[in-house]
Amino acid sequence: MLAHPPSPDDAFTGAAGRRDNEPGPSYFEQPLLKRPHWGWNVITYLFLGGIMGGTGLITMLAGRSSIPADRRLSRTAKFASLALAAINPPLLISHLGRPERFLNMLRIVKFKSPMSLGVWGLVLYSGAAGGNVLYELAEMRVAPRWLRIFAPPVLEPLQALLGAFTAGYTGVLISATAIPLWAKGKRHIPALSVCSGLAGACALNTILAIVSGNDEPVERLERLEAVAALAELTLLADFRRHAGALGKPMFEGKRGRRLRDFTAIGGIAIPLLLNVMGAVLPMPKSLRNARSVAASALTLLGGYVLRETFIEAGKTSAGDPHAAFRQPE
Amino acid sequence: MANGFFTDTTLCIGCKACEVACKQWNELPSDGLAFTGMSYDNTLRLSGTTWRHVAFVEDREVGTTIVNRWSMMSDVCKHCTHAGCMEACPTGAIIRNEFGDVYIQPDVCNGCGYCVPSCPFGVVDLIEPFKPSAAKAAEYNTATLDRERLSEGALQSHGGIAGKCTLCYDRQRLGFTPACAKACPTESIQFGNVDDLKARARKRVERLRERGVDAQLYGVDETTSVGDLNAFFLLTQPPEHYNLPARPVLPSTHQPAGYAAAALAAAALAVAGLAIFRGR
Repeated sequence: MLAHPPSPDDAFTGAAGRRDNEPGPSYFEQPLLKRPHWGWNVITYLFLGGIMGGTGLITMLAGRSSIPADRRLSRTAKFASLALAAINPPLLISHLGRPERFLNMLRIVKFKSPMSLGVWGLVLYSGAAGGNVLYELAEMRVAPRWLRIFAPPVLEPLQALLGAFTAGYTGVLISATAIPLWAKGKRHIPALSVCSGLAGACALNTILAIVSGNDEPVERLERLEAVAALAELTLLADFRRHAGALGKPMFEGKRGRRLRDFTAIGGIAIPLLLNVMGAVLPMPKSLRNARSVAASALTLLGGYVLRETFIEAGKTSAGDPHAAFRQPE
Repeated sequence: MANGFFTDTTLCIGCKACEVACKQWNELPSDGLAFTGMSYDNTLRLSGTTWRHVAFVEDREVGTTIVNRWSMMSDVCKHCTHAGCMEACPTGAIIRNEFGDVYIQPDVCNGCGYCVPSCPFGVVDLIEPFKPSAAKAAEYNTATLDRERLSEGALQSHGGIAGKCTLCYDRQRLGFTPACAKACPTESIQFGNVDDLKARARKRVERLRERGVDAQLYGVDETTSVGDLNAFFLLTQPPEHYNLPARPVLPSTHQPAGYAAAALAAAALAVAGLAIFRGR
């Protein structure tokens, strides 16, 4: 029953009779807070939702460009957004204790609840992405021409705006809790979600562009990814400094090494290096594309590990009563 | 005006009648039996199906500073003035009912679990989905099987939702005192109008202090973002000794900074993106 059975000695040194090296009084070192129940499906949603949001921004950036290859990229991004918007709800529904009651999420709009706003953000984003896809289908002459009423000058910026929201709200959702590690990151985690989401979106769209034989805009995607990834690395380093002892479950031990290896080094530093190499070294097109795909795959893996680390470290943080007694304001 | 609990730890004798009465009235399943070795506390904590928990703070003499003392405290959902769980709930399943108490509507909750990390007191938790297989059914007692046969209305009939103290909403609607307060043999748990209870509690603190007891109220005249607690306590030791946070923080207060940071990051990246995709 007990996760960590205390030794008899612990039992009698609990409460006021604590040892000197303990950071303060507690109730037999029992956790104050309950652990979040979120598992792989929520982690995957946080990861894919961020990418979906970032792809919304790419839809607009490439769609409003005057270069034909960029417009083709925008079309790919629109289809990818809609596909992601279709994958995400089942992931979210599968984590519910009562999945058949998913629609209860839609019975109210609640501004105080980031989860309520997020669900509505998802619904609206799906609508905007759907409209943009219908326009493209009309342009491709596989759908009736009147569907071009879903005008890109309106719907692309709308999808970008909703995308920024869906990428960012997950960070607000996590940090607006009592979990000490998450609460401490009330500024860092939402900003990190946006940066990591856009970096992941650039990576995914790079792969899609290369697969669809439209590799001309890849260089621009990689430049945008470099900006997002550098911001992500800076925020991560600053969060480590800011969190101090509360950051232990995330930045130290096995989980900390995993975050360093897969996100900081493998997911940010190495892709950046590969992108710089691609920009300065002359190389044949096939090798250049292989390098882009490799860098993108690493970025995506790093993005997943970042979300996984946040959720799993939050569970550890919830179990530390001394951290929970000093709830960050 | 809100109804609530005043739990006076100086009167608690640790009989756990409140735990038992709560379990029986609310048809909550057993937690199983475990010996923790932590004084007489084998319940350990509140959970989705444990809505009263008696903590036993047992101290022994260490050097010259600690007196040998034993104090008990019956913990419960605080029914906060500003409730983190209620604000987090995306379905509106968690409401403030007509008695001023924080109540989870069991037929609305879909088990998203967001209230769980949003409670600064670690009270609310998800209840395991209740799915007895044919082979396992024999292990459950008849009461459990009866409950399973009941309609959706039976609180724990199928699990998978969040659970916590309802302040005996059903009993209150019948004009009854909540089960725990009714069963408490020493009136350590008192139920009533929160303002009346507070007046009574302040007098009690005065009287105890006259007798030299270091008594203080927890959850009354609070300056935290959570505000006063409709279920408040009289303590004789620092709150942490009873697993209570000295200064709980309402999680939603983190939201403005979070949305601002996300918007700033998104705006900066959008500007960079516009420059990259248009700068030629």
